[in-house]
Order: sequence, then structure tokens, then C-alpha cells
Amino acid sequence: MEKLTVIGLSKDRDSLMEELMRLGVVQITAQDAKLTDDEWRELVAADGNEEAVAKWEGQISRVAQAIETLQKYSDMKKPLIRTRLAVRQRDFDRVMDREVEIRKKADHVLSLSDQLTEVKNRINRAETQKLSLLPWKDYDLPLSLTETKTVRVVLGAIPAASDPEVFRSELEEKAPDTESELVGSDKDQHYFALFLLKAEEEKANEVLRDFSFSRIAFPEFEGMVSQCIESCEKETEELLQQESELIKLIKTEEQYEPDLEFLHDGLIMKRDRQKIRSRLLKTDSVFYLEGWVPRMAVDRVEMLLRVKECWYEAVEARKGEETPVLLLNNAFNSPFESVTRLYALPDSRGLDPTPFFSFFYALFFGMMLSDAAYGLIITIATLIIKKKFRLEGMMKKMISMFFYCGIATMFWGVMFGGYFGDLITVVADTFFGKEVVIQPLWFNPLEDPMTLLIFSFILGTIHLFLGMGLSAYMSVKDGRPLDALFDVGFWYLLLVGLVMFLCGKMAGLLGPVPTNIGMWMAVIGAVGILLTGGRDKKGFGRITGGLGSLYNITSYLSDVLSYSRLLALGLATGVISTVFNTLGSLAGGGVLGMFAMLIAFVVGHTYNLAINSLGSFVHSCRLQYVEFFGKFYESGGEAFDPFSENTKYIQILREEK
Amino acid sequence: MTTEVANLIFNGNTLAYLGIAIAAIAGIGSAYGVGIAGQAANGVVAEDPGKFGQALLLQALPGTQGIYGLLIAFLIMVKIGALGGDPKDLTIMQGAALMMAGIPIGLVGIFSGIAQGKTAASGIMLISKRPEEIAKGMVYTAMVETYAVLALLISFLMWMSVAV
Repeated sequence: MEKLTVIGLSKDRDSLMEELMRLGVVQITAQDAKLTDDEWRELVAADGNEEAVAKWEGQISRVAQAIETLQKYSDMKKPLIRTRLAVRQRDFDRVMDREVEIRKKADHVLSLSDQLTEVKNRINRAETQKLSLLPWKDYDLPLSLTETKTVRVVLGAIPAASDPEVFRSELEEKAPDTESELVGSDKDQHYFALFLLKAEEEKANEVLRDFSFSRIAFPEFEGMVSQCIESCEKETEELLQQESELIKLIKTEEQYEPDLEFLHDGLIMKRDRQKIRSRLLKTDSVFYLEGWVPRMAVDRVEMLLRVKECWYEAVEARKGEETPVLLLNNAFNSPFESVTRLYALPDSRGLDPTPFFSFFYALFFGMMLSDAAYGLIITIATLIIKKKFRLEGMMKKMISMFFYCGIATMFWGVMFGGYFGDLITVVADTFFGKEVVIQPLWFNPLEDPMTLLIFSFILGTIHLFLGMGLSAYMSVKDGRPLDALFDVGFWYLLLVGLVMFLCGKMAGLLGPVPTNIGMWMAVIGAVGILLTGGRDKKGFGRITGGLGSLYNITSYLSDVLSYSRLLALGLATGVISTVFNTLGSLAGGGVLGMFAMLIAFVVGHTYNLAINSLGSFVHSCRLQYVEFFGKFYESGGEAFDPFSENTKYIQILREEK
Repeated sequence: MTTEVANLIFNGNTLAYLGIAIAAIAGIGSAYGVGIAGQAANGVVAEDPGKFGQALLLQALPGTQGIYGLLIAFLIMVKIGALGGDPKDLTIMQGAALMMAGIPIGLVGIFSGIAQGKTAASGIMLISKRPEEIAKGMVYTAMVETYAVLALLISFLMWMSVAV
């Protein structure tokens, strides 16, 4: 990363920003600190144009809403994975020439959408009204009739828990001349129409209170209930008609959706060009910006700045200065950057671990899934996705990573003889009565798990030693070679020596001379750790510190044991496949058996592939994150975030010069 | 009479069948775990249905204990010929060893499944706030599973060591 400082004339600012955005390689940093700095404060002011930003924001959200409306009602098939459409600048400009027209379309779609919302609200209202009228459908007086000279008409309900007969008799007792009529009941309430003699009203009200009678009024209706319900239904019907017409109208606009997407992204670029100005400083006639440029892109930026006649300076970041982090790796390693990114980016002064673990990642994934057929499925599926969709960023990296993992899975599947588990053997036996066994290239882990367990431990040890080696490398690079010797070298001695000693003594794999060498290596390593482990502590702490360091040997033990999951998860895939194949074969041969086999095959292996590739992904990550990264990795960098065309739907292609 | 009944029950084969049953009850842990995670997932998806896929990934993680239990149960069944309809005659020692082989995964499966379910549930809470950090939630959840994997390994090695 190089630090870039630019001063240019204000009149060139907008065109320079446009070009920088196209290049997309400069991260412009905020300059708030300078504004409080005494030396700077008197000379410069913050640039920025909040008003323009807000204006564009408003337009963007309107267009986004229009796009959303079109997408919601469109019959067009949505792709499985959303990708940006690649267009050339010429074509983009050609669409943007029609900007006024497209804006009108957006407004039109928005007004249709507003009308639709209104119609939907009215439908809701009409339906609620109808629902409130329904209990009264047997009431045969006009709703507008609420009183006569001597009688008051009261509509209302008592809770379903009360007995309507008791209510009526009580009412009759207290107010003998009042007529009551039970209009209807549902599971919540009993609905009554009461004709109260005004003279008796007070007494009647007491009864009503006792029974928690709630009055219901229909001021918005006139005429008979059945007529009102009918008119509600008619209104709903008309509104539904309107709704479907509006939706049809919206659908006729669906071919303009791509245009709206162009407009949306054009607006986003305009907004971003204004937004970035808040990071610049200005005087009356010049502007000032600072930023970061990756070393390989410096030439291109310098060329642009020379053309624009700006003063500029690009210098290497000072030692120890924090810079944004951009991971750069070759074609095989770069997909695995997604695993690094999922953890956290490396510190800008640290080391990118990706090239060191990518091979192991695929290897471990393959061992844990270890089925050639599953590997083939993953490989082909990722190839199809890559071919069919123009993927970008993290998604593209993930898919490419699974492509390599699929190949590794095929490799281990062939080594261990797994092709949908033992499907071929089972099918040959069940339907053809023949014995076919595909011999594994290496061995069958189910028959000889100890070999695979030890192999897993060996792989794990190599993985861990690599991590420790990287830690030593970083110590040396930082000018602390002794730390490398004390913290890593002694451990190498101790661990290698211990393994040699144990192999010689317990298993008799080595002769007496290497065994003795191993013993002495272990002793030297252990003494070294004991003496140096507490070197940054004082007094008594030096002794206990050394002991504490030596005690860490248990953590190395548990680290290595953790790699046993390579065996265990590999077995899980194989045995579960076998379970499903066996289930399928239980119905025997013949047509019925074939049917059972097919169901068990499709359901069982889909499930097994899904759950076990998830497991392999997670556990392969874990082995990197916990065991490998734990040995050396320093994370905490900020991602490089260049000022670029950060669009949602369209990617503008540039011809490489 | 008592001895006869005892002999009938405590023979090698019934002990091995007991082992199959013990291994398979690891599913209890998974059922609990997946259930706990599922409750959390429903809550999160209620707010944002778009998180369904991510939440499902996390919910699936505590499901593995049940699979490991099934695995050992199946292996024992194969070893004693329970699937082919032609069970072997086991000695008491063989049967007892196979029964013991079911215990590690059966027992560890229950508790690690529940613990993993709780971790997965909090992982689902994590993605409700920061969906981009799902990998971290998954790794935390996978940390719990390590012990189920170790138990599976021991059960498997015990199963291996029984000669029938």
C-alpha cells in the first residue's frame, strides 16, 4: 500500500473524482483530524455537499421502491443467484440518454403502486365493515332507526359466557315494557336488539351494566342490514377488480425494470461522487485529498493525476503504520481468501495466511467428506454455477473454493473406495446377485481405522508445525530471532524428539541410536523451554513461567488429537451412506425393491451430502481457525475499500488499456 | 427358575442389543439441540424471513450427535448380524464389550447435543444482528461438537476391538 496525497484545482475536482471512481483503486480517507489541527485549521475547510447527497438519496429510494414494486408483481422468473449485469460504458450511456423518460416511468410505477396501496386499504376497510355487520344479518329494521318518540332502539352484545335467557328475564323483570330480541350468537357474544321505553331507560341500563352489555352503533350505514352487507360485498368486488387492473397495469411496465436498474445505479454513482467530497479538504481554489493505493495500481493513478495536472505524492507506508488490507493471491489460493475473511482480515503489518492453509483446507474437507461421487457432484455443481452466473466477490471465491474441495473429495473418495458409500456393491448384490467390490486405491478406513487415525495425526502435526514455523518467521522478520528460537525452535526439538523417542521405545519403529538422539533432543528442548519460557518475567516468575510454558505440552497434545475428526467425520459419511444403501436393499430385488432403492438413494444421499458437506466445511474451518491460526495469526486489519462504482445491478466494463 | 430367566436375559446377544439402544439414544441430545436452535430460528425468521437459510445451517449443526449414535448403532448391528436375519451367538464378554462401546457416544451425544443446541441458538441470535458473521457462530457451535466427535471415535475404536 502506498499513501497518496493530492492537491488539485477545484475546477478539476469533479472530473478527477469521476475518473478515480472509474479506476476504483484509491481508498480516500477522511481528514477530520486535520480540521482540528492548528496548522491546518486556518488554511483549509471541509469540502462536502450534503444537500446534493440528500437529493440523490431521495431519488435513489424512489427508484428502488419502483423496482421493488415491479419485481413483486412481475411474472419474470427470478434467477437463483442475483448477479450484476455487465455492460460496456457505451451501452450504459445510451440507456442513460433516455434518463428523463426512465424517470417518468419510475414516477408512473410509483403512482400505480400508491394507488394500489390505497385500493388495498379500502378493500380491508370494506371487509372489516362486512364482518361487523354479519352478526346482524337477521335484524330486520333499518339501521338508521335509533329512536321514536317513546322508544329507543339499542343494538349491542353480551359476552358468550352469559346466558341470554337469564338476561332477557332479568330485563323483563326490571323493565317490563322493554322488548328484547336475540338476533344472533357466535362463539364470543350474543347479539341483542332492545327496544327500550324511554321512561324505563334508567332501570334497564342497570341490567345492561350487570351483564356487561356493550352497545354497537352503525352510524355510517343506512337501510336494512342485508342491503348494507350486499353493498359492502359489491364494493369489495369492485375494489378487487380495480386491484387486479392496477396489477395488470404494473405488469405491463415490467419490461422497463432493467432501465430502472440502470437509473438506480447511475444515481448511486452520482450520489457517491458527491458523498466522497466530505472526505476532501478545500481552500478557495484548490482541493486536498489523502488516500491509499495498492502498489501495483500506483502507475495508473499517477498517469491520471499527471493528465489532470495535480500535485501529488505517493510514498510507501512507514514501518509499523497501519494501512488498509487487500489480499492478493494466485489463482489457486485466492478462493480460500473467503475463509480468511470469514475469520478476520490479517493485521496490515502481519501475514496473509491464505497461501499457507489453502491446500490443507481442501485436503481436510476432502478427507472428511471422502466420497468420490459426492466430490463429483460438488465439482460439477460448482462448475455449472460458475458457468451460468457472473459471480463476483465473496460468492465467486466461495464457489471456486468448493470446486477445489470437490476435487479433493473425489481424490480421497477414490483412495478410500467410497462411491455413494457401498452403493455399487449393494446394488450388484441385491438386483443381480453378483459380488462386485470396488477396491479402494489405498485402504478402507472402516477396516483399518488405526492407520487413518495415525495418518490424521501426522497431517495435523505437519499443519501445526507449519503454523509454528510461520510464527518463527514473523519473529525473525520483526528482528527478534531469539524469540523464534525460544518459542518455536525448542518446541520443534522437544516435540520431534519426543515422537522419535516414543516411536523407538514403545513401538520399536526406530533403532537405538535414533531413539537416543530423540531422547536428547527432547531433553534439550524441554530444558530450553524451562529456562527461557519465563524470560519476560521477573524474579521467581522466571522459574514458574518456564514451568508454565512447559506445561503447554498438553495443549499441543489436544491440538493434535483434534485432528482425529478427519477420521471420525470421514467414517460418518461412509457409514451413513451404507445405512441408506442397506435400507434401500431391505425390500429385496424386483420392481418394488428397485423403487425402494431409488427412494432411499435420492432422499438418503441428498441428506447425507448436505449435512456432511456442511460438517466438513465447518470443521475444516475450525481446524484452520483454532489449531492453525492459534499458533501465529494476527488479525484485525481494515479491508481496503476503494472509491469505486459501488453499484447494485450493473457493472460497467472498461476496456483494458 | 431365576437362573434360567437370568441366563435368558443376560446373554451376549441381549447385551449387544442393549449397546445398540444406548448408542441410538444419542438422538435425544440432537432432538433437544435442534429443537432449542429451532425456537431461536423461528424468532429471528419472524423478524426477517430472509435469514431462513442461514438459521437453518446453524440449526442443522446439533443434529450430528444423532447421526453419530445411529452410526455406532448400525455398526454394532452389522457386527452381530442383526440386519441379515442371521444373528451370531455372542459370548457374554463379547456382548458386554459391544454394549460398553455404545455408552460413550450415547451418553456424550445427549449432553453435547443439548449444549451445542444452546450455542447454535445464540449463534442464530448473532446472525439476526450481524448476518455476515455467520462463520464465527458456526465455529463456536462446532467447538462443542468436538467432544461428540471424540466420543464417537472412542465408541468406534471400542467396536473395532471386539472380535466376533
